[in-house]
Amino acid sequence: MKLYFKNIWYGLLSFVVLSSLLMPDVGRAEDDRAQRLLVEVDKNLWASTKYIDGRLIIDNGRRVRTLSMESWMEGVTKSYSYYKAPARERGTKMLKLEKKLWMYTPHTDRKILIAGHLLRQSMMGSDLSYEDMMEDEKISEAYVGTIDGEEKVEGVPTLVMTLKAKKKTKTYQTLKIWVDPVKNTVLQEEAYAKSGKLLKLIHFKEYRRIGDRLFPRKMVFRDMLKENTKTTYMFDEIKFDVDIPAKYFSQRILKR
Amino acid sequence: MIFQIALKNFLRQGMRSFLNVLVTALAMVAVVFNLSFYNGFQDQAVRNMVSTDVAGGHYRTPDFDILAPMEWEDETFATPDALSRLPSSDKAEVLVLQGQIFPNRRLFPVQLRGMEMQQTLLDLPLNKLEEWKTPVDDVIPIIIGNQMAGKSHLHIGDGVVLRWRDRFGAVDALDARVVDVVPLINPRIDEGVVWMRLDHLRQITHREGEVTWVAVEKFQGPVVETLFQEPEFLLKDILELIRQDRKYAVIIWVILIFLGGISVFNTQFLNIFKRQREIGTLMAFGMPPGRVVRLFTMEGSLAALAAVIVALVLGTIIFAWFQSVGLDVSHLSESQIPIRENIFLKIDPVEVIISMLVIVAIMILVAWAPVRKISKVEPTQALRGRAIT
Repeated sequence: MKLYFKNIWYGLLSFVVLSSLLMPDVGRAEDDRAQRLLVEVDKNLWASTKYIDGRLIIDNGRRVRTLSMESWMEGVTKSYSYYKAPARERGTKMLKLEKKLWMYTPHTDRKILIAGHLLRQSMMGSDLSYEDMMEDEKISEAYVGTIDGEEKVEGVPTLVMTLKAKKKTKTYQTLKIWVDPVKNTVLQEEAYAKSGKLLKLIHFKEYRRIGDRLFPRKMVFRDMLKENTKTTYMFDEIKFDVDIPAKYFSQRILKR
Repeated sequence: MIFQIALKNFLRQGMRSFLNVLVTALAMVAVVFNLSFYNGFQDQAVRNMVSTDVAGGHYRTPDFDILAPMEWEDETFATPDALSRLPSSDKAEVLVLQGQIFPNRRLFPVQLRGMEMQQTLLDLPLNKLEEWKTPVDDVIPIIIGNQMAGKSHLHIGDGVVLRWRDRFGAVDALDARVVDVVPLINPRIDEGVVWMRLDHLRQITHREGEVTWVAVEKFQGPVVETLFQEPEFLLKDILELIRQDRKYAVIIWVILIFLGGISVFNTQFLNIFKRQREIGTLMAFGMPPGRVVRLFTMEGSLAALAAVIVALVLGTIIFAWFQSVGLDVSHLSESQIPIRENIFLKIDPVEVIISMLVIVAIMILVAWAPVRKISKVEPTQALRGRAIT
């Protein structure tokens, strides 16, 4: 009888020890899965070089403005945009190199360095700041993700993930994204203040296949602290891994 | 003797003398009023700024510029021991940062101003914030001025979302509650300013112990890594504005004196023209030409002397009435002029005496100028009325 209880006792002890050793692995596996998913999402969105012919439709609740532009991007640190329309903005150029952003306006024929706290200002009255536009880190590198559960977004089963910034300097310390785990695409993103207040909501819509990637046709940005405003970034044409002339990433391009 | 004759002649001129005196007296009153008004304006503007913001000067970082809000976040510093040790009556720690509020879900950029609650150096009606001693949890208590309340359509008890960046640059937001709307006599610390407790602003931005400036009662000697800004420097824009206004006021001053002078000059000129026979008679009876000139100059100068008396009477009445009502300049606060209450005159006796003496001297000069030619007049020609044509 005494031996019987002793065996039960050892059995329980072994179970507890084994469980405690194996459970972190289960958690770690979840974390790895979340991180892998972020890497796959980044693979879809980022490329060594990219060309976009698009429109920025800014709806401030009273009127809608459409900016038409072409952009060339190399990696995550270089980009050049040329605004084609409307007439008022035609000829405006933006050049981003590393952490600096220059803006050239043909009316003044001058280039302005937008740096430091100026980057936090609204870009051309949109719901995006210059900082949002020049986001230069992949989410898999900037955030640590955890999977919270599953939800359907417009009928598509998604994994809901919470992303916590690795650095204190990241603008949005917490993101919540809804990821289609089959296609490795983000369908919705929420950006939160440190306090947990929802600040921005982004919808990624109409994914289409371009080469071996899936890329949205449009992204809709909403500032959740403002009423009836939204900014839609329409990607009318996208090309990946294109050759971009070196002059596009030189300050010399910032002239008439 | 000459004075008695001059006085008799002056009084005989009746309405002409009265008008001369009145014009000159009004010019004197206007000049003194003008000077005293600017004195009062400057005095009140400076007093308001000193009592609510400037105090006896600020210790700041050398590169801080209130007109460069994009750089405020980089220009904070830990309160130096030499300043933090000062009693609360001698210093006020202030932290100024950028923020945004969203009244009715509209973006409204604001200046977040954290004010030390213990301080008594600055006269700010922030008593309601003192009740919120606990650290910020879900709601941040804020106070705004009347002007800010009007612009943002916020009232006492209203809730509004407040967004800011912490020390590291991460964006944060919380609900804020307007615990009071206060009258602020200095619009520069009203429009676009959201007042908070210093400890709350430090807490939400992770800037423990940091300030943008320390307002002090008087210069405390050099403090490492800071620059002391004298009140004159902090007030230089308003002082410069008043200085410019004073320059323009001189133009009005000159016009008024010119009008008074023309009036006296005209009277004198007519006098010697019309009274040639009288001049001839005086000279024929042996009065030297110089004495005749003095007589006529004295007649003209009596207008200036009488004007001083009339100006004193008129001025006392006008100034007494004005000091009882003041001039409402609340509309100026829209243009950031730091005055919201009525303006009152500040009369500087030395300035008044100098102005009066200058006016009297000018009047004597214009009374003398036209009668100079009497000294060259032939008595016989004058008796026939042909000496001065």
